[in-house]
Amino acid sequence: MKKIYKKPNQIRAFFVMMKYFFLAQTRNPATFAFGFLFPVVFISIFGLIGGSTQTLNIGLPSGSNLNNPIVQTIKKQSYIKTQEAPRTDLEKQVKQGKLSGIIEVQAAKQAQTAYTIKVTTSQANIQEAAGVNSFVRGIADQTNLELAGVTNPPVKVEQTEISGRKLRYIDFALPGQIGFSLLSTALFGTVFGLIYLKKALILKRMFATPTKAMTILLAQGGSRLIVALLQTLLILILGIVLFKFYLPHGWLTFVELLVLSVIGLIAFLGFGYFMAGLANDENSAGPLVNLVSLPQFLLSGTFFSTENLPNWLQPIANNLPLSYFNMAVRKITTEGGDFSQTIPYILGLLAWGALMYFLASRTFRWE
Amino acid sequence: MSNIISVTNLIKTYGNFTAVDGISFNVQPGEIFGILGPNGAGKTTTLEIMETLKTLTSGEVLIDGINVQDHPWEVKRRIGVQLQSSAFYPELNLIELLDMFAAMYDVHIKPMDMLKEVELEDKAKNYVKQLSGGQKQRFSIASTLINQPKVIFLDEPTTGLDPQARIHLWEMVRKVNKSGVTIVLTTHYMDEAEQLCDRLAIMDKGKILKTGTPKTFIKDLLSQGFKKEAKPEPANLEDVFLNLTGRALREG
Repeated sequence: MKKIYKKPNQIRAFFVMMKYFFLAQTRNPATFAFGFLFPVVFISIFGLIGGSTQTLNIGLPSGSNLNNPIVQTIKKQSYIKTQEAPRTDLEKQVKQGKLSGIIEVQAAKQAQTAYTIKVTTSQANIQEAAGVNSFVRGIADQTNLELAGVTNPPVKVEQTEISGRKLRYIDFALPGQIGFSLLSTALFGTVFGLIYLKKALILKRMFATPTKAMTILLAQGGSRLIVALLQTLLILILGIVLFKFYLPHGWLTFVELLVLSVIGLIAFLGFGYFMAGLANDENSAGPLVNLVSLPQFLLSGTFFSTENLPNWLQPIANNLPLSYFNMAVRKITTEGGDFSQTIPYILGLLAWGALMYFLASRTFRWE
Repeated sequence: MSNIISVTNLIKTYGNFTAVDGISFNVQPGEIFGILGPNGAGKTTTLEIMETLKTLTSGEVLIDGINVQDHPWEVKRRIGVQLQSSAFYPELNLIELLDMFAAMYDVHIKPMDMLKEVELEDKAKNYVKQLSGGQKQRFSIASTLINQPKVIFLDEPTTGLDPQARIHLWEMVRKVNKSGVTIVLTTHYMDEAEQLCDRLAIMDKGKILKTGTPKTFIKDLLSQGFKKEAKPEPANLEDVFLNLTGRALREG
C-alpha cells in the first residue's frame, strides 16, 4: 500500500487561526472592557490630574489686622489662595490638612518691633507647612531690609530659569499605562483564555486536526499581539490628541513606542504561558496572576515614581520586567533619548522572557 | 487488508490504574461500529487513542493501514473527530468555525454547503451557544466531515438529547454512513446500539466482553435458554411520548 507521509502545512493554518482568534477576542466583552475601556478612563483621569498647579492655601483670621502691607503682599502672590475666617475654624482646617497654614500679623509688642507675624502650621501637611514657613521668612527678611534702609545687601540671590518643557503627570503616567495594558492583556487574557480552551475541550478538538500544537499557541500569541498593538495605538492617540502627550522626535518616537510594545508583549506572554501551565483552573489562576501582576503595577513605576521607595526595595523594583519596559519607554518619551539608549532595558526584557518561556515549556500541559 | 481499523492487544495504563486492558477488534470499511459500555468502561480512552489524542502504553492501532503511534499526522488527515462536549470557540459563528477548521486541515470547503448537509444553513451566523443540544451535535458532525475523512469517531453523540433530537441525529449518522464514511461511536444506550450499529463491542472495566452484531448477541443469549421474565409490551412509554409529540422532526 503506497503512502505519502507529507508534513502538514502550518503557514495557512497559522494565519487563518490568528485572524479568527483575533476576531473572537474583539467579540469578548472582557477584552473590550479591560483592554480598551479601562485605558481610556485611566488616561482621561491622568490628563485631568496634570492640569492643576501646586498652590498654598493660607488662612487669615478674621478680626486680625488685614490691612498691613505684609498681608497685602501675601494676597498678591499668584500661587497663594487666601481664606478669611474665625481663627478656631481655620485651626481646625489646618489640623485636617485642608489649609497649608495660618498667618496672623500682630501689632508690635516691643518698642523696636514693627510687626510680629504669627505662623501656624501642622504636621498634617509637612511639605506645605515648610512652604508656608519659608515663604513668610522671605517676606519678613525683605521687609526687615527695607525698614532698616538697606538697599544694597551684601549677599544677593540671582535667579536664573533654564527654559525647559513643563512635564505634567500625563507625561509620566501614559508610558506606565501602556505597560499596564500590555501586561494585563498578556497575563489575564492568556491565562484565563488558555484555561477556558483546555476545560471546554476546544484545544483538544484542535489537536485532532493536522495543525501542530505549537502553531496553535503561536497563533494565540499573534492574535494577542494585534490586540496589544491596538491598545498601545489607542492610548498614544488619545494622549496625543486630547492631552498633547509629548513625542520628542515626532513620528519616529511613535514608531519606536510600537516596537517597544511588541518586545514588551512577547516577554510578558512568557509569564502568561508559564502561569497557564501552573494553574489548573480559574480558581488557582486568579491568585497566581495577581501575585505576578500586582507587585509589578505597584513597584515598576507604572503610576508613580519608584524614587521614594526604600533603598532595599530599589534593586527589586528596578529589575522587574515591567520596570524595564517603563524605563525604556520613558527614555524615549519624557527624557527625549535615543532608541539605542533603550537597548539595556530591551535585553533585560528579553532575558525575563527567555526565563519564562523556558519555565513554561517545563510546566505547560495541553489537557 | 480489508480492515479500516485494526486494534491489537491495546493497553493503556495511568500509574497503577489500567484504563484499557488488552483489547483487540477490527472495523470493516463502511460499518457503523459501536462501543457499548457503562461510564468508566474505557470507551473514551480507546477512542482517543485511535484519534491520536492519547498515546498508548502497548499494543498496536492501525487506521487505514497506518500506525497511529508512528504516523499520527497522516492519521489525523484521514479521520474526523467529535468530542463529548461541543468543543468550539464561543465567539465565532458556524461559518467562521468551519472556515477555521478547513485551514487547520489544509483543505478548501464551502461552509454553507456543509451546513446544508446537516440542515443548519439558517443558523450560519449563529454562535454554537445559541444552538439547541441536537443542533450542536449536528454541527459537530459537520465539523468532522471537513477533511472528507474515511472514518469519523463520535463520542456519546446522543447523550443529553431528547428523543426527537436523538432520532434526528441517528438519521444524520446513517446519511453520512451511506455516503461511504466508516463510523465508530461510543454509547451507553442499548436502543442506540441496537438500532444504529452494524456491529458492537461490549466493553466493561477496560476489557471487551463480546464483539458481534446486535442480532447475534440476542440469538446467542436465547440459545443459552435465556427467557425474559416480563411479557414484552406491544408499546412502551417512549412510543407514547413520540406519538403525542410527533415523530416528525420538530427540532429546528
